Amino acid sequence: MENIVEVKNLTKEYKKKKAIDDLSFDVYKGEILGFLGPNGSGKSTTINCILALLNFSKGKIKIFGKEMKPNSYDLKKKIGVVFQDVAVFEELTVFENIDYFCGLYIDDKNTRKKYVEDAINLVGLQEFKKYYPKQLSGGLLRRLNIACGISHKPQLIFLDEPTVAVDPQSRNNILDGIKKLRAEGATIVYTTHYMEEVEILCDRVIILDKGKIIASGTNDELKDLANIKERITVETKDLDNNHLNEITQLPEVFEALYEDGILKISYKNEKNNLENVIDYLKSNQIKYRKIYSERPTLNDVFLELTGKELRD
Amino acid sequence: MIIYKTFFKVLNKCKFPVILYTVLLLFFAGFNMSSNDKSMDFTAEKPEIMVINHDKEEGLTKNFIEYLKQNTVIKDINNDEESIKDALFYRDVQYIIYIPENFGEKFLDGKNPQIEVKSTSDYLSTLANMIVERYMKVAKNYVGSTSDNEELFSKINETLGKKAEVEVTSKMDTSTISRLTRYFNFSAYSFIAISIYVICTIMLKFNEDKIAKRTAIGSIDYKKINLKLLIANSGFCFAIWGIYFIFARILIGEIAFSEYGLYYALNSLIFVLSTVTLAFLVSKFVKNKNTITAFVNIIGLGSSFLCGVFVPMEFIPDFVLKIAHVLPAYWFVSNNELIGSTEVFAGEFFKNFCINGAVVLGFALVFFIATNIVSKKKVEK
Repeated sequence: MENIVEVKNLTKEYKKKKAIDDLSFDVYKGEILGFLGPNGSGKSTTINCILALLNFSKGKIKIFGKEMKPNSYDLKKKIGVVFQDVAVFEELTVFENIDYFCGLYIDDKNTRKKYVEDAINLVGLQEFKKYYPKQLSGGLLRRLNIACGISHKPQLIFLDEPTVAVDPQSRNNILDGIKKLRAEGATIVYTTHYMEEVEILCDRVIILDKGKIIASGTNDELKDLANIKERITVETKDLDNNHLNEITQLPEVFEALYEDGILKISYKNEKNNLENVIDYLKSNQIKYRKIYSERPTLNDVFLELTGKELRD
Repeated sequence: MIIYKTFFKVLNKCKFPVILYTVLLLFFAGFNMSSNDKSMDFTAEKPEIMVINHDKEEGLTKNFIEYLKQNTVIKDINNDEESIKDALFYRDVQYIIYIPENFGEKFLDGKNPQIEVKSTSDYLSTLANMIVERYMKVAKNYVGSTSDNEELFSKINETLGKKAEVEVTSKMDTSTISRLTRYFNFSAYSFIAISIYVICTIMLKFNEDKIAKRTAIGSIDYKKINLKLLIANSGFCFAIWGIYFIFARILIGEIAFSEYGLYYALNSLIFVLSTVTLAFLVSKFVKNKNTITAFVNIIGLGSSFLCGVFVPMEFIPDFVLKIAHVLPAYWFVSNNELIGSTEVFAGEFFKNFCINGAVVLGFALVFFIATNIVSKKKVEK
């Protein structure tokens, strides 16, 4: 696999406090690499260092095989960035904003016009071309922000929490757009603290905490790191302590918790667990409203590795 | 091209405060030009004096007082110490002469009676002193030349009556040129204020952290972006300069398009380059709209007061003018004064005009280099 980004031993210190601590990873061509971590874990700092927007204390960064420097304009031409904060001109319309930021890469007016139209279509802003940013909702603004970052059709795209504070419709639109970009051949680095997005989008995931990589791999590889393999949730009000003790003794049960009418049973393996629970509930004539089975989430992995929730 | 286009779109959105600011400064320039219209024409002045005579008003004393009446304005003020002190303090009179008892008699006898005087020590009191001394010297020369007092007084009066004819050969319309000089001197403040206000207002959008970050990851060199933005800013400021020049024609007349007007225009055009680059540099430090006003006041008013924009340079202390050398406005105002005082535009004038202009251009270059250094630091933080 071709490496598009190579990061070796990257360290960034702020007044002797390490914001990033000895980070090493690669980004492969055509993949979506997810950076998952709570706020302040070093995701944005890592991206800013890779883009040479921040000096760093130690380490080496190569993009497309070349060292990235503030004046690496040939490399910058191939990179698109969507920052966490919406960065657009209030004085320009949707079309003019995208045209301006595209113009920082593309000189030819006709090519640029086509690219701008493509970006508008990608994020679904066709009806809002002549709108000013203040006339757009939060979700539409985020879409505009993305269009401004990717309109020049970059080969490598950094998306830094592009769906923060976005309504579900816009979020789906944004996630679809990202999938389309990948389908068109772009390599994407995607940072977020929404594990669901990572699970939907990313081929590989790097989990960061306090500036360190605490785990990396595919979704499945990461989930294997968790002790539990399945979780069954039952909504019932007819449970007492005896029942709970008996459930804990069922085969493969790792842990059983009952709180506020919700029973959560964690399993070490995925072997007919749902069937066993239903059999137990029937035989003890315990009525339940809802029962469902889940695989462990990345939050479980994070909890396992750090002892805290991802969204703490 | 996209940068120019965006610049003017942003400018268009800020047009109302920009137009208001420009109109206000043009109004002030016009007002400043018409007020304090100091004429360059010569008019003889008479000092205001008071004569306290302890002698009899006859003979030489009478002749002396008559002479004073012709050459000064004699005021009638109470002859008590308090009133005299007040009159001097409030400049009601600049000179007080005490003629002692038997002054005329003693003078004609060849003795040297002393006249006591009090003065305010300004130039009018000096003039009064010169008038008195002139009479004493002439009278002394004729005393003893004749025994007939009437003949003596006649000789004295004849000598003192001789006057030098002064013919002004210059064809300069000094009054209009003075107005033009003041108008263009004031333009230093206008150009600094407009440049800083407008450029910082627009650049605030381009330099906003989020936008600047996005621009920094673009594939255009920051120096190229700076240059393009500087050219766009200059375009706007040159337009303001054009309006200012046309306004000079409307207010002052044909002379604005004369050789004088064209030199003033060239000088101000060079100065605009320095104000644009200065404002462009300042814009890199502006964080919000409130700081723009602070910069306009500190740099605009500071430069203007230090460099003789509001107050003529001759009234500014030397040490202040020495400090002002580090500001482009000083060299700009110096060139305006040079143009205003020149009758023939040749030789020494060209040399001095070019030196002052080159210094202003030097400032512009320094400001632009400094802007690029600041931009580099911001890109590579």
